[in-house]
Amino acid sequence: MGMKGLTGVLLLGTLLVAPAAWSAEIHGRSSTQLLWFNNDYNSRRETDLAEYLRLSVTNLDKAGKASIYGYGRMTQDLNNGNGFNSRLYYLYGEYRDLFDKVDFRLGRQFVNEEAGTAIVDGAQVTLKNVGPVAFSAFGGRNVIFDLDNEGGHGGNLALGVSAYLQGFKATDFEFSWFRKWDDWDIAQDMLGATFKQYLFNNIKIYGNGRYDLTAETFNELLGGIKYFPLANLIFTGEYYQSYPTFDSTSIYSVFAVDRYREAAFRVDYTINEMITLNGGYTAQFFQEGGKGHIYHLGCILRPIDPLQLNVEYDNNQGYNGSTNGIIVDAYYDLTKALQVSGGIAYDVYQRDSLLQDEIARTYWLGGKYKLNKSMTASLRVENTVTDQFSSNVQGRFVFDYDF
Amino acid sequence: MKKWFLATLLITVTTFSVQMALAEKMSHKEYATTAISDCNSCHKSEGVAPNHEGDWVRGHRVLASKAGSNCSQCHDQSFCLDCHSGGGIDRDLSTRNYHNDYVPKSHRSNFLSLHPVKALDNPQSCNRCHDASYCSECHSRFPKGSLRIKSHLMLGPNHQKYAPALFEHATEARRNLQSCQACHPDGDVCVQCHSAKLGGTNPHPRNWGSISDNYRDRAGSKVCTKCHLPGTY
Repeated sequence: MGMKGLTGVLLLGTLLVAPAAWSAEIHGRSSTQLLWFNNDYNSRRETDLAEYLRLSVTNLDKAGKASIYGYGRMTQDLNNGNGFNSRLYYLYGEYRDLFDKVDFRLGRQFVNEEAGTAIVDGAQVTLKNVGPVAFSAFGGRNVIFDLDNEGGHGGNLALGVSAYLQGFKATDFEFSWFRKWDDWDIAQDMLGATFKQYLFNNIKIYGNGRYDLTAETFNELLGGIKYFPLANLIFTGEYYQSYPTFDSTSIYSVFAVDRYREAAFRVDYTINEMITLNGGYTAQFFQEGGKGHIYHLGCILRPIDPLQLNVEYDNNQGYNGSTNGIIVDAYYDLTKALQVSGGIAYDVYQRDSLLQDEIARTYWLGGKYKLNKSMTASLRVENTVTDQFSSNVQGRFVFDYDF
Repeated sequence: MKKWFLATLLITVTTFSVQMALAEKMSHKEYATTAISDCNSCHKSEGVAPNHEGDWVRGHRVLASKAGSNCSQCHDQSFCLDCHSGGGIDRDLSTRNYHNDYVPKSHRSNFLSLHPVKALDNPQSCNRCHDASYCSECHSRFPKGSLRIKSHLMLGPNHQKYAPALFEHATEARRNLQSCQACHPDGDVCVQCHSAKLGGTNPHPRNWGSISDNYRDRAGSKVCTKCHLPGTY
C-alpha cells in the first residue's frame, strides 16, 4: 500500500475510532472545499474537491487525561488527471498528567524545539512539575512533505531532547538537541537555545540560536530587545545572522557559503481603537560587501465599527533584486452573520539589473456567511495579472461544519 | 578586587532576575477569543509585553519555541500547520491558497515570479517550512533553461549553463547555495569541476581541516567519494 493509501486509511480510521469511544467528547471541524486554479505545470485549469477534517476525541478516560487529535485532508481532482490525493498532518493519542508529572503523545505530530522542528511518526514524552526544569524528548520517523505527496523513506528519522525552565513568569529558557537521519546516516546534529526575559515592567530581551555540531558554526543567531514605555507603544531592535548549513548527506554540505546578517528596527503604535500603526527598517548585510534595505509601513484602520481596513507597504532594495509592493485588505460586517471583504496586492519587482521591472497585481473578493452556530459558508475569488498572464483566476468555496 | 566586584554583580543580577521571574504563568485559554488590542490592559501592568503585535509573523519563532510557550492553550497544532505545511482549516478570507495548500502572507501576489528574490534575502527562510526536496521537485518539472538564473544567462542554447569565467557563479553559489540545490539536488554539475579526482577547484570552507572528520563520521563515504578516491580523504 502506498503512502497515499495509508494516509487515507488513517484518516478514515479516526472516524471509525470516534463512535467506539462512548464516553468521549468528539469535536472538530469538517471543511468541504471546492478549489479551482491554474495548474502551473501543464497550464490547464484544475478543479479539486477537498475535504479537510480536524478532530479531537477527549475524555477517553474517567479523569479526562486521554485524548486523540487528528487533522488531514483528502482531495480529488475533477478534471486535470491528478486524481485522488491525501495528506495527514497529525493523528496522535495523548495522555496528560500521569502522576501529575508526565505527558505522552503517540502518533503523527508536529514537534517544535529551538534546535529543530519536524513532523514525526513517533512519540513525545514530557516530564514536568519536578522542579524548575522540565524535560521533553521525541523521536520517530521524520515525515517530509513534497509538493503533492510525502517524500520521505524508511531511513528518515528525527530525535530531539530539550530541557526548559518551568513555572517562571518573566523568564523562559530552553536548551535542546536535535538529530536527523537521512537513509540511516546522520544528516543533522543541532544544538539550540532560546531565552526570554522581562525587565522593569517595560523591557523584554530575547534571543535564540542554533549551533550546527557538524559544521561547528552557528546556523542561526538572533538577539532582540523590545521596549514598551506605554501599553500601546512598542519599539523593537533585533540582530539576526544565519550561516546556511546542509544535511551532511548532501554534497552541498562540504561547500563554502557566506554568512548573512541583518539588523532590524521596528515600532508598533496603537493610537486608539480606530488606528494602529507599525513601521520598520531592516538593514541586510551580505558577505563580500553586498547590502540591502527593507522598509515597511503598515496600518489597521477601523473608522466605523463594521469596517476594518489593513494597509501594508514594503520596499526591499536588495543586493540581488528589488521588490516594492502594497497590500490593502478591507472587511465589512454587513450583518452579524454576513461579512464581505476584498483586497488588492500590487507588486513591482526586479529580479536583477539585467531584467526590466515586472508588475504583478492580485485582486480578490470574498464573503462569509454564518448559517447557524455550527455552519459557515464562504467564497473567495482572486485574479492575478502578471507579465505572463493577463488573467489568472483562482477561487474556493468552503463549507465548514463545526461539531 | 575586580573578582569581588564581578561576583557581587553576578549575585545581584541573579537575585534580581529570580525575583522578577518567580511567578506562575497563568492560563490564557479563557482569553482565546479576546481582541488582541485588549491584551494590553492586563499585560502592561504585569510587565509582560503583548506578543501578538504587528511583527508577530516574524517574531513568533522565538515565542513558539518550547520554553514557556503557552501557544497550545489557544491554538491547535493545525494553526501552526496551516502556514508551515500548507493546511487550510483555519484559513480566513485574506488567506491565499496555492493549489491545495494554503500559504502565509509572505507568499504575496505572483509568488512564483517573486520567490527567487525572497529566497535570496535570508537563505534560511524557505527551509523553515520546506524541505530541500520541495524546491527541487518543483524545479525539476520545468524544462531546462526555462528558469532565469542570473549566472546562467550567458551560455548554452537554452541558457542552461553558467559562465565560470565571469566568476559570477561562485559569488552566487556561496551566497545562496540552496538555489543551486533547487535544480541540481545531487550536485552533479558542481563536481564536474570541483572534484579532486579531476584535480578540480577546492570548494571547501576555510576551516575545513578542523571539521572534515565530522562529515566523515556522520555520512560515511557517501559524500566524500563523490569527489575523492577511497582512502584519499
